[in-house]
Amino acid sequence: MNRFDLVGFRTLLRREILRYVRRPRNTFLPPMITNVLYFAVFGVVLGGRIDEIAGFRYILFILPGLIVLGSISNAFENASFSIFHGRWNEYIHEVITSPLSHTSMVLAYIFAAALRGLLVGAIIAGVGVVFLWLTGTPLGVAQPFYFAAFMLVIALLFASFGVVGGLWARDFDYLTVLNQFIIRPLVFFGGVFYSLDVIPEPFKTLSYLNPMIYMVNGVRYGMLSYADVDPDLALVVLTGLTLVVIAVDVYLFKEGYGLVD
Amino acid sequence: MAEAIRVRDLRKNYGDVQALDGLSLTVEEGEFFGLLGPNGAGKTTFINVLVGLVRETGGEAEVFGFDVETDYREARDRIGLAPQEFNVDRFFPIREVLCHKAGYHGIDHEEAQRRADEALKTVGIYEKRDTRFDWLSGGMKRRFMLARALVSDPELLILDEPTAGVDVQLRHDLWDIINRMNDEGTTILLTTHYIEEAERLCDRVAIVDSGRKVEVASPDELMSRGTDTVDVGLADPPTVAPTFDYDGVVESRMAEGRLEVVTSRGGALVPDLLRDLEAMGHEVTDLDIRRASLEEVFVDMTRTDSSVGGSSEAEEVVQ
Ligand SMILES: Nc1ncnc2c1ncn2[C@@H]1O[C@H](COP(=O)(O)OP(=O)(O)O)[C@@H](O)[C@H]1O
Ligand SMILES: [Mg+2]
Repeated sequence: MNRFDLVGFRTLLRREILRYVRRPRNTFLPPMITNVLYFAVFGVVLGGRIDEIAGFRYILFILPGLIVLGSISNAFENASFSIFHGRWNEYIHEVITSPLSHTSMVLAYIFAAALRGLLVGAIIAGVGVVFLWLTGTPLGVAQPFYFAAFMLVIALLFASFGVVGGLWARDFDYLTVLNQFIIRPLVFFGGVFYSLDVIPEPFKTLSYLNPMIYMVNGVRYGMLSYADVDPDLALVVLTGLTLVVIAVDVYLFKEGYGLVD
Repeated sequence: MAEAIRVRDLRKNYGDVQALDGLSLTVEEGEFFGLLGPNGAGKTTFINVLVGLVRETGGEAEVFGFDVETDYREARDRIGLAPQEFNVDRFFPIREVLCHKAGYHGIDHEEAQRRADEALKTVGIYEKRDTRFDWLSGGMKRRFMLARALVSDPELLILDEPTAGVDVQLRHDLWDIINRMNDEGTTILLTTHYIEEAERLCDRVAIVDSGRKVEVASPDELMSRGTDTVDVGLADPPTVAPTFDYDGVVESRMAEGRLEVVTSRGGALVPDLLRDLEAMGHEVTDLDIRRASLEEVFVDMTRTDSSVGGSSEAEEVVQ
């Protein structure tokens, strides 16, 4: 029984995906509305009064950052909510008392949550395209490989963080704290709305400590071929980090952290 | 015969509470085994060790020879559990919940659907298949718990107080289903604090208290350790009970105009008793033997134990 339990893995993956796909009003509508607001206010209203940044119209410049923000917070939220809610109501026992291997369990939770992040990213891109068209701004994906690779890696990374969050949380408040007080501030100071060139020292240098800088700039490089950081290095580091966090997830499941008395 | 469950010196501490305190027991393959004990005895903790919801503090546990920790996948694949508390996925209709459960056991989607329908029919809630668990009535919820345990066609079916708080009709339905499973070869581990349930269903019963095994025996054996009462109707009852001085008579007394002879020899005493009564000039109108209930034996055993272990429930039962 050492082979990978494909049927069990697929079943849990399917369950996890159906859980959110069947509730589109909870899953896909909120990020759509939020981003319509972002694009309207920052892109159109403010963007009309802001000069180009690094040679791009402001609305185009913020598009990659908004995609990153939506993707990672949804990937994180899905994994953490699904695991925490299952613990809270104890139905996660259906999974953890089953013969699924720990690796299968973790990968199913992560892949489903990452997919949600990517779907939300696609929705935001769709909203962005509409606004670009309305403002007569041309768009292309300059570096498709980097764009796809960065999107995939950051969605997986935050889904994996979400697993840790879901295991660690003792209460629904914990999840709110993680999302609102950690992820969002890091993203907002992570170069979504500005280029590092426009901020003064020491904040510019300090910003390089913020991991979000690398994600936002990676995706921006994929779309616009422009980045404040070295995209190759960023991709390697983020990929490594993702693998480490996935390994931590599997370890926590093995140990039964937050799951087993 | 192979062993379905084998645990040795199992311990589990929650802080100062010793939920399991050196529990050892063996359940044979194909057996209908009962775990009888007062609330807080450690029954649920024991089961949770087997399925991996509780990590033991010490000792060993194997299911069909597979260690529940190192070979957890093999062990869990053979177990179907109906837990005491409801823990069902609320996002999906019950038929899908069953399909998921089967899927986790490696059963492909088509077959899982077939099994789900079959399990729902077995427990009699097939027409509710598209309903979510939260919308089922209390009795249907219990039925569903059993369906979920059955859907993977387990070799070992574990039922943790499956009939707690259900009505008589449902209790008998559930008993029928699990009896049939047992007849077809499924090993059954049932925990209960209803003596009648253990007495009716189980081949062997372990009495546990304070995380330890007090006794293992068949219900009949256990009951034979208790005393029986021979209840005699007399045409002209005396006010004072006659005495009998042979082996096995524990007490002789009058109760509501009838003679009650408490004996450790049961029916074997009756011929002697009848002869003596006749010799004394009494006319016997009817005679009935009341066997010790398992409950009395159980209370006796757990009371003795709790004077050491400190469990209060058993003492409350005695008073
Ligand atoms: N998660 C837990 N934390 C602390 N104590 C627990 C926990 N689970 C069970 N216990 C304690 O362990 C003992 C055994 O409980 P349990 O196994 O549920 O008994 P039973 O199922 O026989 O009623 C009880 O004293 C109970 O309070
Ligand atoms: Mg219990």
